[in-house]
Amino acid sequence: MKRATVVLVSSLFFSPMPGRGMPASSEAELAREVRGKGWIAFAAHSSLGDWDIFVARPDGSDIRNLTNTPASNEASPQFSRDGRKLLYRRLAGGEKIDDNRHGEQGALVMANSNGTEATVLGQPGEYPWPSLSPDATKISCLSIKGVFLVDLGSMKTLNTLPRKGFFQQLAWSPDGRWLSGVANSYGTGWSVARMNIATGETSAVNRVDCCTPDWFPDSRNLIFSWRPPGQGTNKGYGWTQLWRADAEGKTRQLVYAEDGRHVYGGHVSPDGLYVLFTGNMKEDGDPGNAGAPMALMRLADAPIIGGESPAVRKLNPGAKNGPVLKLPQGWEPCWTFSETPGNRPGRTGVDSPDSRPWSRGLQPLRGSR
Amino acid sequence: MIQTALNRNGMIVAMFLGLSCLCVSCGRGGGDSAVTGVDPQVTARGTVEVTARLTEIPEGAIFERELYDYTTILKYTVLRVHRGKVQGETIYVGHYNPFKRRSEASDQRVKDIGGDLSRFQAGQVHRMALEAPIDDYFMGGIVNKYFGQSTEPIYWAVWTNLAGE
Repeated sequence: MKRATVVLVSSLFFSPMPGRGMPASSEAELAREVRGKGWIAFAAHSSLGDWDIFVARPDGSDIRNLTNTPASNEASPQFSRDGRKLLYRRLAGGEKIDDNRHGEQGALVMANSNGTEATVLGQPGEYPWPSLSPDATKISCLSIKGVFLVDLGSMKTLNTLPRKGFFQQLAWSPDGRWLSGVANSYGTGWSVARMNIATGETSAVNRVDCCTPDWFPDSRNLIFSWRPPGQGTNKGYGWTQLWRADAEGKTRQLVYAEDGRHVYGGHVSPDGLYVLFTGNMKEDGDPGNAGAPMALMRLADAPIIGGESPAVRKLNPGAKNGPVLKLPQGWEPCWTFSETPGNRPGRTGVDSPDSRPWSRGLQPLRGSR
Repeated sequence: MIQTALNRNGMIVAMFLGLSCLCVSCGRGGGDSAVTGVDPQVTARGTVEVTARLTEIPEGAIFERELYDYTTILKYTVLRVHRGKVQGETIYVGHYNPFKRRSEASDQRVKDIGGDLSRFQAGQVHRMALEAPIDDYFMGGIVNKYFGQSTEPIYWAVWTNLAGE
């Protein structure tokens, strides 16, 4: 009975919807295309109002609550590259998730990717801004004292590097050679930069008002959010859009933009063909509230512009309207092709992300109307 | 009862002192450190203490926007060094969320800053308690309109009092 309810809710809220001038069949085809490609993990409100870690199929179906911890909040999930492990942070129940500090809030937890054998690694605030090495034997961490590479077996620091202005959101490249992050060392806050782990040398990938960088599987390109200057909307500040660039910062391309939507938290699929992202319906609405509808699109379809967005369309006349798959309400998703997250002994699909914020007035992804 | 106890000269002195206090408080941030900017915080915090003139506020260096907590680097001409050492007459100082009153600037991320300055204006003289380099004390967005212009360490403003317009 409960499972039937979850399926019904899922189909009501998370099924593909047609975009602007985009037939519903395009989204349905995209949903069919990705449904069997492993699992996505994301933080979302449970029906009890706390943040838990959920997994779902990449089309948003078959949602499962992995953590089920009403007394605490879990966020910032991160699959190991082989899909066997899941890293996330656990905050005390009363602590509000801060969009700019979430990587250093609460305690770090390592679990199997199906949620079993969750182990707390250290005290609250320890191992800030962690990112798993490609082989999941180490994590990189970032504090005001530098960048630390920590062995997960012994929890000992193996190496320390000057942080050179990096201050948020480390991500370890799939080839193991680089870290990306948000840096303030290029004349502006919120540049996206990379650091050579062997030498400690850093270079900017894109400057000014960028965040949430993550790697493509080839380790040569990054996905990130950027608020390009000169948009003219939103009191002159414009909106944050999803972009990609080569890691040397020589070329960049718009991936997704939508006026009225703060698009960020991009995560490229393990085969490099798709991208997941989050998008606030207001400037700071995700962690402070209950997340926002996530989305999925093919990178081959980029650039896509959602909604009416006349200003950004004028700047990108060749952009497409879709297809964009609307996903459950959540925050900063990640993706593995492994089947492990869905294989939890003794459990089937239980619970679902809270749909109440949606019904309280948050709008569905405009590009998917 | 009190008035009857004061003689005529005493009343004149009291009125003069009262007016003086009013004039001083009109022209400053609102603390007790008028003119010199001295208070127990600025003289005790940080490892460097200076009185310096804010040279300018570059366009776009101070703004208020949702989502963004940031530090802006401002350029000063040093007038006097009270504690510690600084090199040269010009220093660059990072102020956290400079659109806020210094007394309201501390938050969950940056807990230990303050002062009586209400608003940054070019030409003001500030008495500041400082630390350096900024990277040892602040981890967040930095707006630096002077990027690449100096190789000297950037200071971190711990306490900022107004010491003159």
